Amino acid sequence: MTSSNSSWSFVFVTHLKRDFLINFRSLIDLVSIISFMFLIIILFILGVGPFKEKLEIIGNAIIWVGLILSIIPSLEKTLQKDFENGWFDQLATSSIPLEIVLLSRSISYWLIVMIPFLFAAPLFIILLNIELKAVPWLLLTMTIGSLAISLIGLNGASLILGAKRGNILLPILIIPLVIPILIFGVGVNEAIKMEADPISNLLLLVAFTLIYLVISPFISALLIRIAIAR
Amino acid sequence: MINWLANPNRFSKLTNKLQIPLLSISTIMILLGLYYGLFDSPKDYQQGDAVRIMYVHVPSAWLASFLFLSLAISCVFYLVWKHPLADLISNSIAPIGAVFSILTLVTGSLWGKPMWGTWWVWDARLTSMLILFFFYLGYILLSNAFERKIDGSKSASVLAIVGIINLPIIKFSVDWWHTLHQPSSILRMDGPSIDKEMLLPLTLMMVGFSLFSLFLIIINVKTKLLEKKCEALILKLNLKEFS
Repeated sequence: MTSSNSSWSFVFVTHLKRDFLINFRSLIDLVSIISFMFLIIILFILGVGPFKEKLEIIGNAIIWVGLILSIIPSLEKTLQKDFENGWFDQLATSSIPLEIVLLSRSISYWLIVMIPFLFAAPLFIILLNIELKAVPWLLLTMTIGSLAISLIGLNGASLILGAKRGNILLPILIIPLVIPILIFGVGVNEAIKMEADPISNLLLLVAFTLIYLVISPFISALLIRIAIAR
Repeated sequence: MINWLANPNRFSKLTNKLQIPLLSISTIMILLGLYYGLFDSPKDYQQGDAVRIMYVHVPSAWLASFLFLSLAISCVFYLVWKHPLADLISNSIAPIGAVFSILTLVTGSLWGKPMWGTWWVWDARLTSMLILFFFYLGYILLSNAFERKIDGSKSASVLAIVGIINLPIIKFSVDWWHTLHQPSSILRMDGPSIDKEMLLPLTLMMVGFSLFSLFLIIINVKTKLLEKKCEALILKLNLKEFS
């Protein structure tokens, strides 16, 4: 790390720490996303009924859909407050690159989703009857996939900055972009379940994640500048 | 020429001259295409007469994708060159493209029920057409979600440009995944594999649909220009009263 105070890594790490301080303040923040995911999975399980075979068929899909649906509601909070109190105006007119700040924000959001998930994962695995050999692959794909989803989610949240009732619009904007992640993520888990080769789906999943890792900060920064200029 | 057309009055004058020819030519082409398609063209050896829905399904599908491409190009013009008519054109294209994509999905499932035995299947092309519809819907909702209409245009333009990624997926999905929808038979490297007698009504319908949607877009843009004029007049009136 260089000694300059505005070097990119310093900016990145500082904002990461700041987001953690803000979002990880109390226990409620830690468990809110995961408890919502838990409730969605419980709903699916109760809907399917006590049929183990049915659950085995759709178990992977349920956990992915639960992840996507639980990430979406808390997304607009990540940008709204800073937009309203003028912090983004300050950032946009300063020499700090807005893209680095947004990248650190999506990464911190990813970690806020992922770390509690990794702790709660045994619970989901037991509930959905996922077999043991599939567990490492499940954790790997959900880690990569949730990074992609939080990057896309940041894009979506910056699209609706300043819109009235924009949070109703957020699922419609995010879900078309998230569908490939879902398809390939479930594809890996299904391939493992059927003893096939998961590499092709895994590579596509990683490819999408890397693409979004690169372009999503730039798109979000452009949209935030548009939102500030209104 | 694009900058020449940026003046609304010039645009209106040019399109006034174009309107009636466009409507008449497109109507004639659609009627001719329907006649050839429904009566004069041969039955498919496997599907019988039910193949004739292709003459509505394929032009709608092609037009839905093409209109999304023109929507994205128009949004690029708006964002990059700040062309004054560009966001009017984008907002006019969006509902028309959305309707064509729904028409594609509906005619496709009507065709699919007798042919494949199912109304819907989650194959790659159907899914990506549905995603295209969601992109259109997202564009329309986002551009109307703000207090002032102009605020939404820029965000929605970015959304439309991001949605271009979906178009190659639609086009190549039948080559990449060999699931239910049939592979490409018209725009292929080896030339069309469809029969010449079916190609004529299909081309007529495609061009007819395209000209008709161009006509609709022109009418929409002129209406929006008139609305803007009305707003400006109301503003002038209020200012006069105020002073």
